[in-house]
Amino acid sequence: MPKYKTNECKNVQTQLSAYFDNEMPTWKRHLIWWHLKRCSDCKHQAKAIEQTDKLLRFVEPVKASDTFLSTVMSRATTMKATQKACQSIFNRLGSFVNGFQLWMRGNIRAYSLVYMFGLIFCVITMIGVTLYSPRIEKLNMFPQLRSKSSETQQERLISFEVIVLPEPKRSFKIR
Amino acid sequence: MIVSDEELMMECRKGDMSAFELLVRRYQDALVNYIHYTINDYHRAEDLAQETFLRVFKSASRYEPKASFKSWLYTIATNLSKNEIRNRARRNTYFLEDMVEENEDVYHSEFMIDTRYQPDVLYEKKERQQLIKKALKQLPENQRLALTLVTYQELSYEEISEILNCSIGAVKSLIHRARQNMKKLLIKAGIGGGVNAKI
Repeated sequence: MPKYKTNECKNVQTQLSAYFDNEMPTWKRHLIWWHLKRCSDCKHQAKAIEQTDKLLRFVEPVKASDTFLSTVMSRATTMKATQKACQSIFNRLGSFVNGFQLWMRGNIRAYSLVYMFGLIFCVITMIGVTLYSPRIEKLNMFPQLRSKSSETQQERLISFEVIVLPEPKRSFKIR
Repeated sequence: MIVSDEELMMECRKGDMSAFELLVRRYQDALVNYIHYTINDYHRAEDLAQETFLRVFKSASRYEPKASFKSWLYTIATNLSKNEIRNRARRNTYFLEDMVEENEDVYHSEFMIDTRYQPDVLYEKKERQQLIKKALKQLPENQRLALTLVTYQELSYEEISEILNCSIGAVKSLIHRARQNMKKLLIKAGIGGGVNAKI
């Protein structure tokens, strides 16, 4: 552990790195600068830090290879294509439902009256359709159903028992 | 006009590949350099730098320009580097640089460069660089990361605190201790002898 002359020296020396990196307010920098002017020990320490930093910067930086950019870009393009392909129908459906929910929230609040009228109309229509369902034959919309229904009627007719009354044995002659 | 990283990232979010390309161009060297100093393996550093950029691209859709892009990028790179160091320690694997002789340059070995015509000055320079790299490698993980970020990437203490997920005060003390340790290690290696005779 390094020995410090005074408490001020201790404070200064622990903050020398921040002073060197210019990571402190100007007034503090000024105080340290004044201290370094007076104290040879601290000045020595400051020089040592500067020297260490210089030595560290002595190491030449490495550079990315020439193919680096092209490799990253090709991999990114492939990734983009895969992401698109993986976006399944369920995800799309989910996003649609979410969007619809959001739309509903936004719109129902804003147009609640319209929504209520719409809802009441739907309910009344459903009740009406259930209670007074129109005859399919009358609607004339579903010919297949209509022919079926006529068949059933014929069948019904066929199934009727025809009762033929026998002739009376004695006939009354009216004179 | 220089477009900021955050603006480029927002363009990238919209699906603009040229914006992403520009970002990669801006940071490729710095990032490879940073990871190389951290894990001390050039080829693996390139792989991890690529992985970093791909992660950025993947999460571009979720990016919101709250924090600086640079901090975010270096955070991803730092996490990947830390994972790599831990994985290697677990698997007991060694870096290529550890296996070769101290003075031997792995990437510019004899079959790459004819050393017969290399001046002594260059040789000394390389030797010194190797010693500094070795000393840097001996530092504790967090100290090495902080020192690399401040010296080679020239990031502010605030940015480093974001990357290392600690307070600015902690970063200050990390860097201070890193420099003290580095000084001792360099003296031990015979480089920084004249710097401070007292330590």
